[in-house]
Amino acid sequence: MSNMETELKRLIIDTLALEDIGVEDIDSHAPLFNAGLGLDSIDALELGLAIRKTYQVKIDSEQHDVVSIFASVASLAQFIESARP
Amino acid sequence: MDQKPSTPAVAKTLQRRLSPLARAVLHCIGECIHPAEHLPTVFSSSHGEIGKCLEMLETLQAGEELSPTAFSLSVHNAIAGLYSMAYGNHAEITALAPAAAGLGAGFIEALGILQEGQPEVLLVFYDEALPDFFPSAPFNMSLTGSCVLALKLALVGEGIRLSFGLSQNTRHDGEQPLQLSALIKFLNSQQSVLCLGDQGCNWQWQKR
Repeated sequence: MSNMETELKRLIIDTLALEDIGVEDIDSHAPLFNAGLGLDSIDALELGLAIRKTYQVKIDSEQHDVVSIFASVASLAQFIESARP
Repeated sequence: MDQKPSTPAVAKTLQRRLSPLARAVLHCIGECIHPAEHLPTVFSSSHGEIGKCLEMLETLQAGEELSPTAFSLSVHNAIAGLYSMAYGNHAEITALAPAAAGLGAGFIEALGILQEGQPEVLLVFYDEALPDFFPSAPFNMSLTGSCVLALKLALVGEGIRLSFGLSQNTRHDGEQPLQLSALIKFLNSQQSVLCLGDQGCNWQWQKR
């Protein structure tokens, strides 16, 4: 597991107030939304904001394939690594 | 309250969205109805969670971006929305901000729903202290703490038998937050009549 993936899991837990979940409970390749962690569209917006603040990376629904970027921690980490300044 | 009020009917993923007031409201509802009961519901709150709006305005003033979650929960019917999601309740749900009408507005709305033929209706009053930013004291519109009351109303059946109507007594009890504890006390005592009013809206409850 890359450092970015671990960092992202911590960010997801803290940003979305997932009280009873630890970094080790999140599978990097499991779906983040609906199934998997059970996150919803408000969580996606909240996470987008946290990523923008933390990594200065903007995920723009008009430029990027948001669904595949937000598919899992692994895909999100990969996108941030490639897009961060 | 030191201990978090329990809200067993609310799924984990929704629990994290509950403010202390939302948690108190859903706890009281949980004490009043069964999780599978999908009743038409009336919520009455003078101020809702206006503190959230103030926090967001302060965030904007500081030049920061708003939290989408905070934004989604800042509307007056946010707790009504959380309730409908938690209970999977698709029945008619109303959210009132009664101002001068005090506790009367919620009763009128609930009785209207019963008169339309619904057998039962859930009536929920809630308010919390207004943030200090708002000069509420001279206007008699805020308490220092939170208060919630959930009532299941029906035109027939068991429970406390009440009549409700206009009162001829002119009263100055303040708005809903200041009237609510009097209603709770009335329902839990031997007192047979309760009159409450503010700014020309005077109501009477009588046990039968």
